[in-house]
Amino acid sequence: MDCDECLKRLYAFLDAELTEDEVLAVRSHIAGCEDCGDNFGFEKRFLEQLKEWCTSGVAPIDLRERVIALVRGGSPPAT
Amino acid sequence: MAKDPFETEALSHMDALYRTALRMTRSEADAEDLVQETYIRAFRFRDQFTMGTNMKAWLFRILTNTFINSYRKKTAQPEQTELDDVDEFSLYRRMTDTRSASASPDPEAEILGAVVDTEVTDALGELPEKFRTVVLLDVEGFSYKEIAEMLAIPIGTVMSRLHRGRKFLQKRLYDLARERGIAAVRAPQKG
Repeated sequence: MDCDECLKRLYAFLDAELTEDEVLAVRSHIAGCEDCGDNFGFEKRFLEQLKEWCTSGVAPIDLRERVIALVRGGSPPAT
Repeated sequence: MAKDPFETEALSHMDALYRTALRMTRSEADAEDLVQETYIRAFRFRDQFTMGTNMKAWLFRILTNTFINSYRKKTAQPEQTELDDVDEFSLYRRMTDTRSASASPDPEAEILGAVVDTEVTDALGELPEKFRTVVLLDVEGFSYKEIAEMLAIPIGTVMSRLHRGRKFLQKRLYDLARERGIAAVRAPQKG
Protein backbone atom coordinates (compact mmCIF):
# COMPACT_ATOMS: atom_id res chain seq x y z
CA MET A 1 0.00 0.00 0.00
CA ASP A 2 1.39 3.42 -0.96
CA CYS A 3 0.71 6.82 0.66
CA ASP A 4 -2.18 7.68 -1.70
CA GLU A 5 -3.97 4.41 -1.07
CA CYS A 6 -3.35 4.75 2.64
CA LEU A 7 -4.71 8.32 2.82
CA LYS A 8 -7.77 7.30 0.79
CA ARG A 9 -8.64 4.98 3.68
CA LEU A 10 -7.83 7.47 6.43
CA TYR A 11 -11.34 8.27 7.65
CA ALA A 12 -12.70 4.75 7.13
CA PHE A 13 -9.78 3.51 9.25
CA LEU A 14 -10.40 6.06 12.03
CA ASP A 15 -14.14 5.37 11.88
CA ALA A 16 -13.45 1.64 12.34
CA GLU A 17 -15.14 0.86 9.04
CA LEU A 18 -12.36 -1.11 7.29
CA THR A 19 -12.11 -4.87 6.93
CA GLU A 20 -9.52 -6.66 9.04
CA ASP A 21 -7.21 -7.08 6.03
CA GLU A 22 -7.41 -3.41 5.17
CA VAL A 23 -6.71 -2.42 8.77
CA LEU A 24 -3.56 -4.55 8.73
CA ALA A 25 -2.42 -3.06 5.42
CA VAL A 26 -2.95 0.51 6.70
CA ARG A 27 -1.19 -0.27 9.98
CA SER A 28 1.78 -1.75 8.19
CA HIS A 29 2.10 1.30 5.90
CA ILE A 30 1.83 3.74 8.83
CA ALA A 31 4.47 1.85 10.77
CA GLY A 32 7.00 2.60 8.05
CA CYS A 33 5.81 6.08 6.98
CA GLU A 34 6.21 8.89 9.48
CA ASP A 35 4.28 11.43 7.41
CA CYS A 36 1.18 9.23 7.05
CA GLY A 37 1.49 8.28 10.72
CA ASP A 38 1.51 11.94 11.76
CA ASN A 39 -1.36 12.69 9.39
CA PHE A 40 -3.50 9.90 10.86
CA GLY A 41 -2.61 11.03 14.38
CA PHE A 42 -3.64 14.58 13.58
CA GLU A 43 -6.97 13.56 12.02
CA LYS A 44 -7.70 11.30 14.96
CA ARG A 45 -7.27 14.21 17.38
CA PHE A 46 -9.35 16.43 15.11
CA LEU A 47 -12.22 13.90 15.13
CA GLU A 48 -12.05 13.58 18.91
CA GLN A 49 -12.18 17.36 19.22
CA LEU A 50 -15.07 17.59 16.75
CA LYS A 51 -16.99 15.02 18.74
CA GLU A 52 -16.40 16.98 21.93
CA TRP A 53 -17.60 20.20 20.28
CA CYS A 54 -20.74 18.60 18.86
CA THR A 55 -21.89 16.54 21.81
CA SER A 56 -22.09 19.26 24.43
CA GLY A 57 -25.39 20.53 25.78
CA VAL A 58 -28.39 19.07 27.56
CA ALA A 59 -32.12 19.26 26.92
CA PRO A 60 -33.89 22.11 28.76
CA ILE A 61 -35.74 20.97 31.89
CA ASP A 62 -39.09 22.33 30.73
CA LEU A 63 -38.81 20.38 27.49
CA ARG A 64 -38.13 17.21 29.48
CA GLU A 65 -41.17 17.84 31.67
CA ARG A 66 -43.37 18.60 28.68
CA VAL A 67 -42.29 15.41 26.86
CA ILE A 68 -42.83 13.27 29.96
CA ALA A 69 -46.33 14.71 30.39
CA LEU A 70 -47.10 14.10 26.71
CA VAL A 71 -45.91 10.51 26.55
CA ARG A 72 -47.73 9.60 29.74
CA GLY A 73 -50.91 10.77 28.09
CA GLY A 74 -51.51 13.83 30.23
CA SER A 75 -51.93 17.28 28.79
CA PRO A 76 -48.68 19.18 28.50
CA PRO A 77 -48.06 21.96 31.01
CA ALA A 78 -48.73 25.41 29.59
CA THR A 79 -45.61 27.03 28.14
CA MET B 1 -46.49 4.33 38.53
CA ALA B 2 -44.83 1.12 37.37
CA LYS B 3 -41.61 1.58 35.46
CA ASP B 4 -42.00 1.37 31.72
CA PRO B 5 -38.66 0.15 30.24
CA PHE B 6 -39.49 1.63 26.84
CA GLU B 7 -40.17 5.03 28.38
CA THR B 8 -37.09 4.91 30.60
CA GLU B 9 -34.78 4.10 27.74
CA ALA B 10 -36.41 6.49 25.28
CA LEU B 11 -36.14 9.42 27.69
CA SER B 12 -32.47 8.62 28.41
CA HIS B 13 -31.63 9.74 24.86
CA MET B 14 -33.22 13.18 25.14
CA ASP B 15 -29.98 15.11 25.61
CA ALA B 16 -28.47 13.53 22.50
CA LEU B 17 -31.65 14.16 20.47
CA TYR B 18 -31.85 17.77 21.64
CA ARG B 19 -28.23 18.75 21.00
CA THR B 20 -28.48 17.20 17.51
CA ALA B 21 -31.82 18.91 16.83
CA LEU B 22 -30.34 22.23 17.97
CA ARG B 23 -27.47 21.94 15.52
CA MET B 24 -29.77 20.77 12.73
CA THR B 25 -32.37 23.52 13.11
CA ARG B 26 -30.08 26.22 14.55
CA SER B 27 -32.99 27.42 16.68
CA GLU B 28 -33.80 26.52 20.28
CA ALA B 29 -37.56 26.77 19.70
CA ASP B 30 -37.42 24.57 16.58
CA ALA B 31 -35.14 22.07 18.32
CA GLU B 32 -37.62 21.73 21.20
CA ASP B 33 -40.51 21.25 18.76
CA LEU B 34 -38.53 18.69 16.79
CA VAL B 35 -37.64 16.66 19.89
CA GLN B 36 -41.21 16.81 21.16
CA GLU B 37 -42.53 15.65 17.78
CA THR B 38 -39.94 12.86 17.73
CA TYR B 39 -41.16 11.54 21.09
CA ILE B 40 -44.81 11.80 20.11
CA ARG B 41 -44.11 9.67 17.03
CA ALA B 42 -41.86 7.25 18.91
CA PHE B 43 -44.59 6.55 21.47
CA ARG B 44 -47.29 6.36 18.81
CA PHE B 45 -45.27 3.73 16.93
CA ARG B 46 -43.65 2.02 19.91
CA ASP B 47 -45.03 -1.35 18.79
CA GLN B 48 -42.67 -1.17 15.81
CA PHE B 49 -39.66 -1.11 18.11
CA THR B 50 -38.16 -4.36 19.38
CA MET B 51 -36.79 -4.01 22.91
CA GLY B 52 -33.14 -4.97 23.03
CA THR B 53 -32.37 -3.53 19.59
CA ASN B 54 -30.71 -0.14 19.12
CA MET B 55 -33.19 2.39 20.50
CA LYS B 56 -30.90 5.38 19.99
CA ALA B 57 -30.67 4.59 16.26
CA TRP B 58 -34.43 4.11 16.08
CA LEU B 59 -35.12 7.47 17.75
CA PHE B 60 -32.56 9.24 15.56
CA ARG B 61 -34.20 7.80 12.46
CA ILE B 62 -37.48 9.36 13.59
CA LEU B 63 -35.70 12.63 14.39
CA THR B 64 -33.98 12.91 11.01
CA ASN B 65 -37.11 11.91 9.08
CA THR B 66 -39.20 14.44 10.98
CA PHE B 67 -36.57 17.10 10.36
CA ILE B 68 -36.31 16.33 6.66
CA ASN B 69 -40.09 16.23 6.17
CA SER B 70 -41.16 19.28 8.12
CA TYR B 71 -38.48 21.51 9.57
CA ARG B 72 -36.14 21.56 6.61
CA LYS B 73 -38.71 23.40 4.52
CA LYS B 74 -38.75 26.41 6.80
CA THR B 75 -35.07 26.53 7.69
CA ALA B 76 -33.07 29.04 5.70
CA GLN B 77 -30.67 27.00 3.63
CA PRO B 78 -27.14 27.89 2.70
CA GLU B 79 -26.66 27.53 -1.04
CA GLN B 80 -26.78 23.88 -2.05
CA THR B 81 -23.37 22.70 -3.14
CA GLU B 82 -21.39 19.53 -3.49
CA LEU B 83 -18.40 21.07 -1.67
CA ASP B 84 -16.01 19.38 -4.07
CA ASP B 85 -13.60 22.31 -3.70
CA VAL B 86 -12.73 21.26 -0.13
CA ASP B 87 -12.21 17.60 -0.99
CA GLU B 88 -8.43 17.84 -0.99
CA PHE B 89 -8.07 20.31 1.88
CA SER B 90 -5.84 19.01 4.65
CA LEU B 91 -5.37 20.97 7.84
CA TYR B 92 -2.53 18.61 8.67
CA ARG B 93 -0.77 19.50 5.38
CA ARG B 94 -1.28 23.24 5.95
CA MET B 95 0.30 22.94 9.35
CA THR B 96 3.28 20.88 8.27
CA ASP B 97 3.84 23.43 5.48
CA THR B 98 3.84 26.35 7.91
CA ARG B 99 5.54 24.60 10.80
CA SER B 100 9.08 25.38 9.65
CA ALA B 101 8.19 29.07 9.33
CA SER B 102 6.35 29.14 12.62
CA ALA B 103 7.49 30.21 16.04
CA SER B 104 4.99 27.90 17.68
CA PRO B 105 6.12 24.43 18.68
CA ASP B 106 2.56 23.14 18.51
CA PRO B 107 0.46 24.88 15.83
CA GLU B 108 -2.20 22.17 16.03
CA ALA B 109 -2.93 22.92 19.67
CA GLU B 110 -2.90 26.60 18.82
CA ILE B 111 -5.55 26.20 16.14
CA LEU B 112 -7.83 23.62 17.73
CA GLY B 113 -7.32 24.90 21.27
CA ALA B 114 -8.19 28.50 20.37
CA VAL B 115 -11.52 27.61 18.80
CA VAL B 116 -14.50 28.68 20.88
CA ASP B 117 -17.89 26.99 20.90
CA THR B 118 -19.68 29.76 19.02
CA GLU B 119 -17.15 29.47 16.18
CA VAL B 120 -17.81 25.77 15.86
CA THR B 121 -21.54 26.47 15.89
CA ASP B 122 -21.07 29.08 13.15
CA ALA B 123 -18.85 26.78 11.08
CA LEU B 124 -21.42 23.97 11.40
CA GLY B 125 -24.16 26.43 10.44
CA GLU B 126 -22.29 27.31 7.26
CA LEU B 127 -22.00 23.65 6.36
CA PRO B 128 -24.79 22.77 3.89
CA GLU B 129 -27.47 20.71 5.57
CA LYS B 130 -26.96 17.35 3.90
CA PHE B 131 -23.32 17.37 5.02
CA ARG B 132 -24.10 18.72 8.48
CA THR B 133 -26.65 15.98 9.15
CA VAL B 134 -24.11 13.24 8.36
CA VAL B 135 -21.44 14.88 10.54
CA LEU B 136 -23.89 15.19 13.45
CA LEU B 137 -25.02 11.57 13.16
CA ASP B 138 -21.40 10.42 13.06
CA VAL B 139 -20.41 12.21 16.29
CA GLU B 140 -23.35 10.48 17.98
CA GLY B 141 -21.58 7.19 17.29
CA PHE B 142 -23.58 5.75 14.41
CA SER B 143 -21.90 3.55 11.80
CA TYR B 144 -21.85 4.36 8.07
CA LYS B 145 -24.48 1.67 7.58
CA GLU B 146 -26.78 3.05 10.28
CA ILE B 147 -26.48 6.58 8.87
CA ALA B 148 -27.14 5.28 5.34
CA GLU B 149 -30.30 3.55 6.54
CA MET B 150 -31.53 6.57 8.49
CA LEU B 151 -31.16 8.90 5.52
CA ALA B 152 -31.97 6.32 2.82
CA ILE B 153 -28.74 7.07 0.92
CA PRO B 154 -25.94 4.71 -0.20
CA ILE B 155 -22.98 4.08 2.15
CA GLY B 156 -20.65 5.64 -0.46
CA THR B 157 -22.65 8.86 -0.20
CA VAL B 158 -22.36 8.81 3.59
CA MET B 159 -18.59 8.45 3.23
CA SER B 160 -18.18 11.29 0.74
CA ARG B 161 -20.46 13.66 2.68
CA LEU B 162 -18.64 12.87 5.90
CA HIS B 163 -15.28 13.42 4.23
CA ARG B 164 -16.29 16.74 2.70
CA GLY B 165 -18.11 17.90 5.81
CA ARG B 166 -15.02 17.32 7.94
CA LYS B 167 -12.75 18.99 5.39
CA PHE B 168 -15.07 21.99 5.18
CA LEU B 169 -14.96 22.39 8.97
CA GLN B 170 -11.17 22.09 8.99
CA LYS B 171 -10.90 24.76 6.34
CA ARG B 172 -13.28 27.13 8.17
CA LEU B 173 -11.40 26.69 11.44
CA TYR B 174 -8.11 27.24 9.65
CA ASP B 175 -9.45 30.42 8.01
CA LEU B 176 -10.72 31.63 11.39
CA ALA B 177 -7.35 31.03 12.99
CA ARG B 178 -5.67 33.00 10.22
CA GLU B 179 -8.13 35.87 10.58
CA ARG B 180 -7.29 36.03 14.25
CA GLY B 181 -3.63 36.13 13.30
CA ILE B 182 -2.55 33.11 15.23
CA ALA B 183 1.21 33.02 14.74
CA ALA B 184 1.38 29.40 13.73
CA VAL B 185 -0.89 29.83 10.76
CA ARG B 186 0.34 33.12 9.35
CA ALA B 187 1.33 32.71 5.76
CA PRO B 188 4.82 31.27 5.57
CA GLN B 189 7.44 33.95 5.04
CA LYS B 190 10.37 33.68 2.76
CA GLY B 191 13.90 34.09 4.06
